[in-house]
Order: sequence, then C-alpha cells, then structure tokens
Amino acid sequence: MAALGEDISVKLKFRRLSKLERRQLITGLLFVSPWILGFLAFTLYPVLAAMYYSLTRYDLLRPPVFIGLGNYTEIFTRDPVFPTVAYNTIYWVFFSVPLGVIAAYLMASLLNTEIKGRSVFRAIFFFPSIIPAVVVAMVWQFLLNAQFGAINATLQGLGLPTIPFISNPSLAKPSLILVHMWAQGSAIIIFLAALQDVPRTLYEAAIVDGANAWQRFWNVTVPMTTPAILFVLITGFIYGFQNFTVPWLVTQGGPANATEFISIFLYRNAFIHLRMGKASALAWILFVVVVVFSIILFKTSRHWVHYASEE
Amino acid sequence: MDENKIKLLSRRDFLRSASLFTAAGVLAACTGGAAQRVEQPAAAEQPAEAAATEEAAAAEEAGAAAPAGEAITVQYWFGWGGNYAGNAWDTMKGLDKFKEVVGENITVEPSGSSGGEKLLTAVAAGTPPDGASNIQYLDYMARGVLVPIDDWVAASSIVKKENYLEGNWNDGFYQGTMYGVPANECFLRYGLNYNAKMVEAAGLDPDSPPETWSECFEWHQALTQFDEAGNLKQIGLDPYDAMGGQIGIQDGFYPPVSWGWQWFNADTGEFDLDNEMMAEAFDVMGEFYKLAGPDNMAGMRQVEGQGAWGGSFNTEVQAMIIEGYWHPGESMLEKPEVGEFNRTTWAPVPDSRRGTKVQGYGGHYVIIFNDSINKEAMFKVAEFLNTNEACDVIFETVGWLPALIPFLDTVDPTTFPGLQFYFDSVEQATEWSSPARCPITAFVSTTYQQLREAHYREQMTAPEAAAEFQTRVEEEWINAGFGG
Repeated sequence: MAALGEDISVKLKFRRLSKLERRQLITGLLFVSPWILGFLAFTLYPVLAAMYYSLTRYDLLRPPVFIGLGNYTEIFTRDPVFPTVAYNTIYWVFFSVPLGVIAAYLMASLLNTEIKGRSVFRAIFFFPSIIPAVVVAMVWQFLLNAQFGAINATLQGLGLPTIPFISNPSLAKPSLILVHMWAQGSAIIIFLAALQDVPRTLYEAAIVDGANAWQRFWNVTVPMTTPAILFVLITGFIYGFQNFTVPWLVTQGGPANATEFISIFLYRNAFIHLRMGKASALAWILFVVVVVFSIILFKTSRHWVHYASEE
Repeated sequence: MDENKIKLLSRRDFLRSASLFTAAGVLAACTGGAAQRVEQPAAAEQPAEAAATEEAAAAEEAGAAAPAGEAITVQYWFGWGGNYAGNAWDTMKGLDKFKEVVGENITVEPSGSSGGEKLLTAVAAGTPPDGASNIQYLDYMARGVLVPIDDWVAASSIVKKENYLEGNWNDGFYQGTMYGVPANECFLRYGLNYNAKMVEAAGLDPDSPPETWSECFEWHQALTQFDEAGNLKQIGLDPYDAMGGQIGIQDGFYPPVSWGWQWFNADTGEFDLDNEMMAEAFDVMGEFYKLAGPDNMAGMRQVEGQGAWGGSFNTEVQAMIIEGYWHPGESMLEKPEVGEFNRTTWAPVPDSRRGTKVQGYGGHYVIIFNDSINKEAMFKVAEFLNTNEACDVIFETVGWLPALIPFLDTVDPTTFPGLQFYFDSVEQATEWSSPARCPITAFVSTTYQQLREAHYREQMTAPEAAAEFQTRVEEEWINAGFGG
C-alpha cells in the first residue's frame, strides 16, 4: 500500500486482452450498440452537420454554399432582431429557472410534511408535468386571455381591471414564467426524494441545539439537498435556453417580439425564412452558451453544494 | 440444478442476441433509407436534354387518354383544411369526370393542412408529394425544385391559356417558365366586405359604404365598441386582417396596391419600401389599432373563433374585412346567418386617390416537384381541377372560384351576397395589380408584421418603420443569396 505522499499515479499500459476479456467487451458493446448507433445517427451526426451548415448559405432546397463565418457575422453584427432575442432568452432563463426551482422546492417541502391526503396532493402537483405541452398551451391561453379568460373574468366579477397577460409586451414574459412555475412536477419529485433522504438525526441534533424551524430548514434541509438543487438548476437552465413549445403556441414570439426566444428565432429562420445555415449557426451559438453556462455552474458548485459522501 | 438438463438459451445469450438483432435492424433501416436517397439524386442529375426529352414524351402522353395499367395513388398536399380537404374532395373523387380525365387506375390521396414545414422537409428529404397547393409557391419556383410544365400544358386539351384570366395565368410563371397550373382558388383579391346588419345598428348607412381610408376610419370609430372593463366587444375594421395585411405570392401586398406603387421589381431585384407612401400606410392603418388598443386587438385574436381571415367576421365581432371574392361564399357556407348580411365594395384607398378602384389578380396553383413519383398523374389531377365539374363542386362546397373564364361565365354572381361586386369589378376596376415575384416573400411578411406592430405600439415612427423595412429586406436579399 502506498505511503502518504507517495506518487501513486497510474501508468496506462495497453496490453492484449485475454479471450474472456474480449468476449466480455464484445458482449458489452453489443448490449449498448443500439444506443451507440442511435447516438451516432441522431445526435453526433446532426451536431456535426449543423456545424458544417452553419458555415454555409443553405435553404434546404438548393445545395449549401460555403460562406465561412458569414452567418455568425450577420447574427452578431447586422441582425436587428437578435439583440432582442438574446435579451428575451437571458431574461427567461435567469427569471424562470430560479423561480421555478424555488417554487418546486417550496412545494416539495410542503409535500414532505405529515398531512392528511399527502399522496393525493403529490399526484395533483405532479399532474401538470405529464400533460402534453400543446394542451398546457391551449389551456393557459384560455386562462390568460384578456377578454374571456377565466382569470380576467374573475377579476371583472370582483370589479377589478383586467390584465392583458399575453397581449401586452411587458407582461407576456412574466405570464409565461407563471405557466412555467405551474409545471414543476418533475422537479418537485426530485426535491421530495432529496428531502426524504435528509437524516432525521440531523434534525434531532439541531433541535437539541435549540434551532427553530427556519434555522433547521436553512442550516440542515437546504445544505443536505444542494446536490438535488444543483441538478435541477443545471437541467432547468439547459431546458430554459431551449424553451420553445409553450411560447410558440401561446404567443408565437409576440406581442412585439417580447417572447421571441432564441429557439423560436431559430425555428423561424430555418423553416419559414429558409435560412437553415443561419439557423444552424444560432443552434451552435446556443450550444456553446449552454456548455459555458453549465461549466460555470459546475465550477461554482464546489462552494455551495454539499455532498454527504465527502464526510 | 440438474446438470444434465440441456440449456437451450441462457438469459445472457438471449439478451446478447436481442442486442445484435436490434443493432442489425437499426443498421438495415438506415441503409435502406440511404440507398433510396442515393437513387433519387442520381435521377435528379439527369442531363437537362435527357430530362427535356423525357418530359416531351410525357407531354405527348398527357394529350392522349389517361394511361391504363397498375394502380397509382397520387399524393396531393395543400395548406387548406375544412370543406375543401373533406367534403369537396370526397365528392370530386366520385365524379365520372374524375375517372375520365385522371384515369380508372389512379386514385388521389388529398392531405389537408399539409403545407409549410411539413412540405419543406419532405421536399428537402427528396420525398415530396406528387403535387401541392396553397403554399409559398415562389419559395419553390425560385429554387429549382419544380417541374416545368410548359410542354404538358402545350399538349393539354383542358389547360389552355386563352381560357384563363391573364393575370392568374401569368402568375404561374417564374422567369419565363411555367410551373403552376391555376386551380382551386383564383379569381380576384380585393374588396371591402361589411356586415350590413352591424353597420345599420351602429347608425351608419350600408348603402353608402366608405371609399377612402379616412371614411373607413369613421365607420371603424362608430362600429368599435368596448365593455365596462375596457375590453373590446366589437371592432369595425382590422386593416391588417386577411388581404389588408397579407404579403404572399398568391395574394399580393395591399398597401402598395392601395397607395399605388410597386414595392419590388422582379427584374432588378430592387425594393421600394422606404418612401412616403409606405410611411403613410403605417400611419393610416396603425390608427385603427390605436383606437381599439393594441393589447385589446391581440387579446381579441387569441380567443377561439375570433381569429383572422373571417373568423371574427363570422362571429360578428368584426364588422368589416378586406378580403377576396371567396369571402361571400365562405361566410355564407360557414355561417349563413351572418353571410346573408354580407355586402362588398371597393377596398379603401387614401384620400388623395379617391375614385381609384383597385383590384388584383392572385390565387393558387398546382405545382409538381422534380422528385415527385407520379408527375404525369399529378398533372392529370391538375387538369381535372380545371374542369367544370370539379369547379362546380368546389364552388358549391367551399365557395371558391377558378380563373377559368368559361366556368366563370356559368356562375350566378348572386349565389352569395357580395359576390356580384367581384364580377362587376372585372369591368369597373381602374387599377390592376398582381403579386410581386419576390422569392423572400416570407421574410418580407415577417418583417412587415414586426414593424407595423412596433409602429402602432409607438416603438417606432412611421418613417422609421419604412426605412427599417427597406434596410432589413435588402440585407436579407443579399444574405439569402439573391443579390450582392
């Protein structure tokens, strides 16, 4: 066994596999081959193809023409809509994701208490996340409608002014964030599992030390669930940057480009304006942003994520 | 465990074999698709002379009786849904004329609501339908994916130039080559339709309709109503609804028609959008939105049944609409209790052009793709759609008219209230227009929608919007590879 301080770096040695090892390797590869083929065909190839097309002028109907970085130059220096798109996307991500996480965490905390009919409430809170996005969009479009929506009808009944949730540019994004916060069922389940994993002994020790409910929540519950919070945050940011279905169906990027997110802008360029090259460039810009963001989040996580196994 | 027991297949062996077969299946599926894709490009790369020879031979056949032989199913996609996709085609397929023109062995599989992205990806993948209609025709005409049909038309006993309204016929061409057979829905594009009952209830005279934009605005003011909460109950005119706001290769662009200028020169590729007339159009048409409230208009449109293109007219939330000849028929067939009060007059013009009676050609075609499998059979379907029998069915079930003069001569213009105006306008119009042949029309349309909204929401002045309009479309023209 190595002594403390001794160099224990492992030198990789390539050697011939034994017959048994080769058979096991082939068996393993066979088991994962469907996934590998699918990954190559439906993930890696499209990603590389998008990189190539991003360097071309391509309208899907004629052969691509190489133009180098022309699409990227256009997006960053000449496209008058892109600054609005970038702003909308950053706004969406930096408000919807944290608010969604907070909402999910609070709901999970409530569902973790000993209440009657807890399983029923858990099903009710999870239900929105399994409804198809198209249905969600149609239902919320009705609910939020300025004239006949259920919410505004209630406000009118109470003698209050109506609110143009999705027909006013200033309110459209916050309204979509509201819809997003409503559909946090998956995050709630993850948080619920993490909450139930917090050792009871920690709470007992905190009580013995005189901690009140808030202190127990902030100093025991939250730190012990930070790995789950990190996971939900990262996946939330990744999906947030790619948000498309509900905004496209509810507002189509309007009113006045207020909900023109990068995914909608990309779709519009690709399939309506026949600018697949530019759309591919947008996809790669989005990819780089998401990767950089994820790396930053991972790097900073060491300062606030507590892994129980580290003890 | 009995060691003598013969093990036929262990669990590990089963799972290993299942993986092997799955992987083989995935590979086989991909290989089959690749082989098909290889065959199609090879076919598409035939020398131009060989292709012309093939088409000439096909044209000779087209003039003869429909070929007998193995059963063929023709895939025909179009953007329409509703009565056309359902009732009309169900009826047409059973007509004796269908069998006579198309052939006993050919069936048609019409697919409604199948334009846009669905068609684009099918064409890009090399698996287009045999024909399509109600799509962005020029997107395909300008990019060389359509079959030139000049030779087939020359040999056709049904599709004859002299039988068609000139403007409709000419719009099937791109740079001198014919790609589209006028069919289904053609004829004329501009008329101000109004609900006489709603007009009378607002204290206006339905027999003295507005001629100019300012007169239209007076009617709009009288007809637009709000509830106690300030929500819209009813509007007079949404000038950007239907033909008022549409920019399409099949429909044209109304402000240049109304103000009288050409916004795009197909020969030179030049745009003329940064001018006083475009700025005035933004100002004048934007006033209608400002009166009703932009948020209110957006909210009204989001209500189910109060959409554009006649939806809110039929629900009597909108009293006026700038639409084509089809409006009287569609309204009467879809909502007879509203359609019976429809009247039509000249679409509005600026005060400076009072007395100018504008009208425009436009409409739809059947186009056939280079990679279509049943090109000749699809052309026969296009021919069938131009027979009196097919046009009768379409007119009776949907309310649409073709560009066929012999058929138009048989139509009773009093069939639907307001249709008479369009027939009369053929003789009475003083200015005629045709849609501009702009291959980036979709971008122009998106940009126009964004800028007019920026204007009526007071984010931009009208001259700024017009200047920005010019700048953006010129930039896109170069970026899309058509200029520069």
